[in-house]
Amino acid sequence: MIRFVAQRLLQTIPVVWVIITATFFMIRFVPGGPFTAEKAVTPEIMRNLEAHYGLNRPLYRQYLDYCGSILRGDLGPSFKYPTRSVNEIIAEKLPVSVELGLWSLGVALCAGLPLGLIAAVKRNTWVDYLCSSASMIGICIPTFVMGPLLILVFAIHFGWFNASGWYGPVDRVLPSLTLGSVYAAYVARLTRGGMLEVLSQDYIRTARAKGASEVRVLLKHALRGGLAPVVSFLGPAIAGIVTGSFVIETIFQIPGIGREFVNSAFNRDYTLVLGTVVLYAGFLIGMNLVVDIVQVWLNPKLKFE
Amino acid sequence: MRTDDTERGHSLWSDAWHRLRRNRAAFAGGILLLVLATACAAGPLFSQSYEGQNLDLGAVPPSSQHWLGTDTLGRDLLARTLYGGRISIMVGLVATFVALAIGVTYGAVAGYFGGKVDAFMMRLVDILYALPFAIFVILLMVFFGRNIFLLFFAIGAVEWLTMARIVRGQVLSIKRMEFIEAARALGLGRRRIIFRHVIPNVLGPVIVYTSLTIPAVMLLESFLSFLGLGVQAPMSSWGVLIKDGSEKMEEFWWLLVFPGALFFLTLLSLNLLGDGLRDALDVRASKD
Repeated sequence: MIRFVAQRLLQTIPVVWVIITATFFMIRFVPGGPFTAEKAVTPEIMRNLEAHYGLNRPLYRQYLDYCGSILRGDLGPSFKYPTRSVNEIIAEKLPVSVELGLWSLGVALCAGLPLGLIAAVKRNTWVDYLCSSASMIGICIPTFVMGPLLILVFAIHFGWFNASGWYGPVDRVLPSLTLGSVYAAYVARLTRGGMLEVLSQDYIRTARAKGASEVRVLLKHALRGGLAPVVSFLGPAIAGIVTGSFVIETIFQIPGIGREFVNSAFNRDYTLVLGTVVLYAGFLIGMNLVVDIVQVWLNPKLKFE
Repeated sequence: MRTDDTERGHSLWSDAWHRLRRNRAAFAGGILLLVLATACAAGPLFSQSYEGQNLDLGAVPPSSQHWLGTDTLGRDLLARTLYGGRISIMVGLVATFVALAIGVTYGAVAGYFGGKVDAFMMRLVDILYALPFAIFVILLMVFFGRNIFLLFFAIGAVEWLTMARIVRGQVLSIKRMEFIEAARALGLGRRRIIFRHVIPNVLGPVIVYTSLTIPAVMLLESFLSFLGLGVQAPMSSWGVLIKDGSEKMEEFWWLLVFPGALFFLTLLSLNLLGDGLRDALDVRASKD
């Protein structure tokens, strides 16, 4: 197991390096710079600005410098917020996005797992049809339709929540529901499918024949195998929740890293774009690794492949 | 996988068709999709102009004059929604086609050559899977102008990975079958074997996955449009309309509800049809 993890960790190093390099050069080769959008500045000021941020040096030097500072854990200064470093901005905004993501994941699992489990147990009854239809509908409502609709109904019409902002615990409800609902629907479908497959296998029949109660059969014997599709979905799901947060943070005006990323791309704030991309890439690769490990733990057969 | 392909290739498809017909949800999805697509394709020809403004009118709720109401510039919402649907569906089809072309070719080549080539190509796919692609699409669209052809390419470039995996798995199993051996014995070239004999035989899973990729692509497009990065004015897509609607929903709810509902119905019909096709063609996705 340790070898497996170490091997995977080693494999991620070139991937992260490729991402950093590709993003770095892609940003530099696009028309427009961080200072072109602002009010016209005189050439002298422009030159000073570029000198201050090291933009006047040869590209390969800038690249090497950037790689060096990343190795020291320093993502550089922001171009648009002159007094702040990218590290500071991330440190301020990231916790908000992480919290939103965790709540959404919570919604997805707490709603999706029971729904899928019930549907599988009551297969081909009206309960199953109800659960399955609900999850199909959940998959087909885009978050950017769901979010505004929830605001329209529960914030504007009933006045139970604030339409936007991120202050009290109440403000967590609508964004997490919006972002979590799609993934709850997927989790429900995958749980149902996985459980149905497992429930038809011999060892479940054995467990029943030995007189294990139905609840015990379900939770003790079937769940472990039945959850495999859900676990492998969690990797992409976490990636989806991350990118989904761009939209959610825009709709609900949440001061998270997702909104900051989109803004920084529009502003051509090179260092902030790079910093967030590195952050996301590292995070996603890390999460995929965790998912792989959990999968091997759930199904030891995979270890030998 | 299906050794009887060559003997009863005909009845395989008619079997599938019968199974699809019996699946009520999938059939309803197919009909709904047909209605929506026809409406979007033909509707703008008969409805009121999608650009025609009537500033005196402003935004009015649904009426007999304007079935879905008008927007703040007095433009007929039904005409705009149908027109937006045209663009959304077109993006869905073209970008899916891009993904299909890349994915099928890549997967077929990897599966056919096998060995080291396959190991290398699939390792590359694994790596690409781990990349935060939506982020790169956003960067591409921000940096290189928001042009619709780039949009096709960017979305297609993201969505081909799963297709490549599916096709590769299929090809690996098919190339060991006798008719491929026979083709090789007849002296056919590699390219000809791949395109004439292998690809037609992986069609089932490809059809199924294509039908499920179209809604995913449409979602991605509208997601980008919602962020202001997709389709640009004066064109509009459902994502653009939903964005407009969500900004003005407090006063003019219909601007959000109708485009949102039509988009939802389209996604629903595509997903129902895709699920039905999967059952009918008996494809076990992601098992290969």
